[in-house]
Amino acid sequence: MRRPRSYVLGAALLAFGLVLGACGSGGDEDTGTGGNEPEEKGSVTVGSDGFYEAQIVGAMYALVLEDAGYDVESRLDLDSREVRLPAMESGEIDIAPEYIASLLSVLDPDSGGATTPEEGAETLAPLLEDMGLELLPHSEAVDVNAFVVSQDTADELGLAAVSDLADVAGELTLGAPPECPKRPYCIPGLKDTYGVEFGDFKPLEYGAATIQALEAGAIDVALLFSTDPLISQKGLVLLEDDKDLQQADNITPLVRSEVLNDEIAELLNAVSAALTTDNITPLNARVLVDQEDPEDVARDFLEEQGLL
Amino acid sequence: MSVLQEVITWFGEAGTWTGSNGIPTRVQEHLMLSGTALLFAAPVAIAVGLFIGHTRKAEFITVTIANLGRAIPSFAILAFVFPFTLELGLGLGFWPTVIALFFLAIPPILTNTYVGVKGVDQDTLEAARGMGMSGGQILRTIEVPLAARLIVSGLRTSSVQVVATATLGAVIASGGLGRYIVDGFAFGTFGPNGVEGRQMVVGGALLVAALALLTEVGLGFLERLMVPRGMTEPRLHVTPGPDPRSEEMAQTTA
Repeated sequence: MRRPRSYVLGAALLAFGLVLGACGSGGDEDTGTGGNEPEEKGSVTVGSDGFYEAQIVGAMYALVLEDAGYDVESRLDLDSREVRLPAMESGEIDIAPEYIASLLSVLDPDSGGATTPEEGAETLAPLLEDMGLELLPHSEAVDVNAFVVSQDTADELGLAAVSDLADVAGELTLGAPPECPKRPYCIPGLKDTYGVEFGDFKPLEYGAATIQALEAGAIDVALLFSTDPLISQKGLVLLEDDKDLQQADNITPLVRSEVLNDEIAELLNAVSAALTTDNITPLNARVLVDQEDPEDVARDFLEEQGLL
Repeated sequence: MSVLQEVITWFGEAGTWTGSNGIPTRVQEHLMLSGTALLFAAPVAIAVGLFIGHTRKAEFITVTIANLGRAIPSFAILAFVFPFTLELGLGLGFWPTVIALFFLAIPPILTNTYVGVKGVDQDTLEAARGMGMSGGQILRTIEVPLAARLIVSGLRTSSVQVVATATLGAVIASGGLGRYIVDGFAFGTFGPNGVEGRQMVVGGALLVAALALLTEVGLGFLERLMVPRGMTEPRLHVTPGPDPRSEEMAQTTA
């Protein structure tokens, strides 16, 4: 039985090796720095984290670059910053939408945060330079943690701002993603800045589960994002961040310095200039609620703004 | 430090074993989830299995429906059940998870029970009927004891699957060992800031595997104890007596 067994083993190893090889090469193209022929402008890979807002903005970047003649590959489905940043460092991804304050809290947790996007970008610059990356000018679209209650809860307890929670939080249950107890803009921040300590905490995945739980009364306060279209759609109340716990999470292009040139900068800056918190929320609604494709939504927006 | 070293450190820390996020608490919660699901699933699966095995009615359709519990991913069942349990005021975490695990637990128990009962020797059944035993008596005194080993084996398979899958509930705020895995990923597992995340994910996975293995071995042990004496192996056994060739003296234990 020896010979057949070693053949099988050999075949299995070969197959395994082939699969590994296939996985490793992925679908990325080389990121050339242009200059082949006058027409060809080289390739760029635009990536984004896999949630609706990042995908829409990422699609916008991809579309304007493609329109200008670049060979664009879109990877709008990356798991998270934790996957995407190393990919940008290694050159697999060239351009991605970033959130300034969140990026800062990840790259420099002790920095004390950023109350303005300028401050954040400044603090980030040297850290990013070491990684071969840089931030372009920020947009005015901001997406931060939002503490949300139902209309009934707001009426019953007289809640309009986060500071109103201080007296009643002990009897309330917070529903938020599992890392909330560790994030400065979540539970520790609520305690330090507002003196708010909830009676109970339920770790829930962001999105449908959290909203369902809130509507059913299984939790009293939910953590959502400020540009989540479901907040107004479901008639929920966003508690005002009156003590400015949440920071400057402006949407900004993060780019690999090696790939960046004046034309790319101009194109991306034009997109950033057009984005505001108010006009991105309806785009989110179209993707999240109407189930439209982020790329279609992005294209419509760019055409409306005269950028495409 | 390699990930393995990080995990070993984690197990060595006192904080890992104390408090509401400590290993003893989580294991207890995990067993509660698994145990409750099995507590509901076992009677249902055994009863139905006995019924279709004994009466030979609706066999195909029953087994097919039961196997949906295996075919449909438990995660999907959980997502489906979740809004309903919220509506019914059953809260987050525990009950939706138990319900999803219930559907997962049924197929092995039901199938094994059914096959066990169906596999009883036709001649034995004929003899019993010839002796004037009622259906119920046949079931109780012949079919069940003969199917016992398979039934308990089915319970064992089911228990191991349930213990391994109870980690699911953590995505909807349940307790149990799944908490370490879900929370660990949420804390972040990359780079120098990801130490705790890695410790929890790998540590949690190791704990679940260990618990599932313990369940397998423990119930295997129980299986040997529980099955009626003489049922462990089919065997033709002739006891020595005055006249070994006499039919009355020969005992067949099968």
